[in-house]
Amino acid sequence: MSFRKAYKLAIVLTKSQLRGYQRSRLIARIFGNPKIILVADAIMMTVPALLAYVLLSSGILPTEILTVVRGIESQGLSGIPTILAFSVILFGILSEISQPMQSMSTDLVNWLPISPSEYVAGSTISLSYTYSFMLSFLLGVSLGPAVLFNMVPVWGIAAVMSVLSLFTGASVVELLRALTNRISSSFYRKSGRSGIFVRLALTIVVLVFFQLLFSGRIIVYVLGGVMQTVTAAWFVPIVWPSLAVLSGSQGDVLASSEFGLLTLGFFIALFVLAVRLRALYWVPVPVAIRLTNRSYHPTTSVSFLPGFGVAESAIFRKDIRSLFRRREMARLLAIPFVLAISLGVSLFPISGTSVTEQVGFYVLIPVYVMPVAIFCSIMSMTCIGQEGNAVWNLYVAPITPRQLVKVKLIIPVLLGLVFSVAMLVFLGIILKITLADFFFLLGLSIVVVMGESAIGLYFAARFADFRDLIRSRFVSVWGSLFGTFISLLLVALTASPMLISIALHGSIATVYFAFSLAIGLGIFLGAWKLAERQMTKLLREIRV
Amino acid sequence: MASLKALEVNAVTKSFGETRALAGVSFTVEQGEVLGLLGPNGSGKSTLMKIMVGIMKPDSGRVEIQGKDVAKDPTGVKGIVGFVPESPRLYEFLSGVEYLDFVADVHSLDSKTKEERITDFLKALDLEGKENELIHGYSQGMKQKLAIIAGLLHRPQVLVMDEPLNSLDPRTARIVKDLIHKLRDDGVPTIFSTHVLEIADAICDRVVIMDNGRVVEEGSTKQLKEKAGSSGSTLEEVFLKLTGSSDTRDIVEALSR
Repeated sequence: MSFRKAYKLAIVLTKSQLRGYQRSRLIARIFGNPKIILVADAIMMTVPALLAYVLLSSGILPTEILTVVRGIESQGLSGIPTILAFSVILFGILSEISQPMQSMSTDLVNWLPISPSEYVAGSTISLSYTYSFMLSFLLGVSLGPAVLFNMVPVWGIAAVMSVLSLFTGASVVELLRALTNRISSSFYRKSGRSGIFVRLALTIVVLVFFQLLFSGRIIVYVLGGVMQTVTAAWFVPIVWPSLAVLSGSQGDVLASSEFGLLTLGFFIALFVLAVRLRALYWVPVPVAIRLTNRSYHPTTSVSFLPGFGVAESAIFRKDIRSLFRRREMARLLAIPFVLAISLGVSLFPISGTSVTEQVGFYVLIPVYVMPVAIFCSIMSMTCIGQEGNAVWNLYVAPITPRQLVKVKLIIPVLLGLVFSVAMLVFLGIILKITLADFFFLLGLSIVVVMGESAIGLYFAARFADFRDLIRSRFVSVWGSLFGTFISLLLVALTASPMLISIALHGSIATVYFAFSLAIGLGIFLGAWKLAERQMTKLLREIRV
Repeated sequence: MASLKALEVNAVTKSFGETRALAGVSFTVEQGEVLGLLGPNGSGKSTLMKIMVGIMKPDSGRVEIQGKDVAKDPTGVKGIVGFVPESPRLYEFLSGVEYLDFVADVHSLDSKTKEERITDFLKALDLEGKENELIHGYSQGMKQKLAIIAGLLHRPQVLVMDEPLNSLDPRTARIVKDLIHKLRDDGVPTIFSTHVLEIADAICDRVVIMDNGRVVEEGSTKQLKEKAGSSGSTLEEVFLKLTGSSDTRDIVEALSR
């Protein structure tokens, strides 16, 4: 293995990884430079270390807090290596499943004279380097208290173990990549259409799981459990680095050295395994996925909904297939699940009184309507950029901007309605909402779904991003931020009469409900006009 | 009364920032004529083709297809034009037949016509048996075949093809060439760009040579050879002479050093 070649490859992969995520050329140039990342890492370590030290040693904090910080520092130093390993594995998996179909088998390295060991070494270094900011930050934050509480030797062990954990996590990702190449190739060759759905379902489950894992309430719960079980789970290799630090902090040098050596051995074993697997399953084989064996029978050339022509129906069918067949769409489909579960966790905590019991029905409107609005807005804002480089197919088609607005609006509206009704039924049953309140909320959600989808479509056409990148956003950063802000503002405006009614009368009066409906419909009609005007501009000239 | 031109390109200009892609391009295409657009890379051929089919707006000038102003009625023009872009990007999550079904529906073909045409084209271009596979797994040549079928499916009145024979195997390339001849016999004009000058020589009634966004010469291949003052020379020699790139010996020397 040529270390020089592995290092050069690591630099190229790091640049590719960092630049692939950045849409702005300037930002890509700045953050795509590994040297700048190194400087940023140094800053991310030094600044928190200094701030923490100055704050803790200034004497402005009461002694009780310092005692608590000392306890957290001791536990935290042990936790850093395990947290780092899990984070790198998580981000690595997320990056893998978000890659568009086109970029799966087109890696430049597949044609170059690079051995599996050089590739795995380069890729492991690159992955570790990309996520090194987490290492810098966590070590920086813990350094200040470590100096103050005379725990620098333990911090030193934690630093060494964290670096090893970072590489161990990266090796796991490499191993998973090689396995994924193999498994997905055989799986899709055999399973066809059902394989696509299974992949989508699994991707959604993974996304929902990790999104929830990173939500504040759940992470506190999980971390508490993890730290309690770390010592008991000595047989799990991924916690060995944490145990090395823990033993070091307890003055058990022998145990610390043993766990340190075991960690090193584990990393080497994983690395060798990743190299072996990479050698076996070198290039992801593009698989020909056969959807059916039936001979061609045309879909009926009729419209599927009143007011929709054959052309609109064709685009609708195409968009539905896009939604359920492209793995980069999984994160959009995961949104309602994440929102619904997060909402459930907020409303029904593990212990104590539920939010609605504390605050009453008043809180339900924003808690119910905001997720619906966010979902419709995101689905709609991304629906034009999703076309990617294949958008020329729409440009050459004899369709008008109005037709495109109609058909692009229908998917977020339909999915939004399904989501909102399902959520409303769930909340209605759990919270025993009256029938009148149920219909008030249903009416509100219908106008919110329509309005948010229409305004989202304006932003989709105005700020479309057609580039096929890793984790394509489909809408520019500015468009996404501005669009979300405006969407939330408009939903607040729509719901405000009903909220005022509850604040004044303790219930929803019909006249206030009517005001909400009128505002919602007004927003929908205005947004439709804006979207149509913007779509006309978009279709005037192709941008890809 | 003069007969209706199939295509009229009139003083078309287009710039991208400081770069002038087209600088007053004009020419016409007769009904049933096969016109070859030739020119070195970056000469403005693809930009001109995008303007012709109404997916890009010229800064000035006008394009008319079968009497319809492309700028005023882009949707109407798209209904009568067939376009095959250079390196077409297709919807990779659809199967080949689903993609063609989509294109046929967008052009509002009825079920019977759609079935007949799609089945015939799949058979003719050797895609039969592969039609239910996702486009993602297709080779570049198969994708090119699909794009060609998509451009022809609605029986266009004018066919615009940007490097249509790229990535095609010799058999399919021959079929496409024969198809262009057949369309010519049926009165359907074809405008296509190519870098392969032998193809232009073999199938074009007339060629337009572009360089730096301008038409530097147009006429039949025979006329061009005569104009270039070397009736015995090949179209390649004429092309290199007109585009100022005839002296290639130094470059070859440098590359082989």
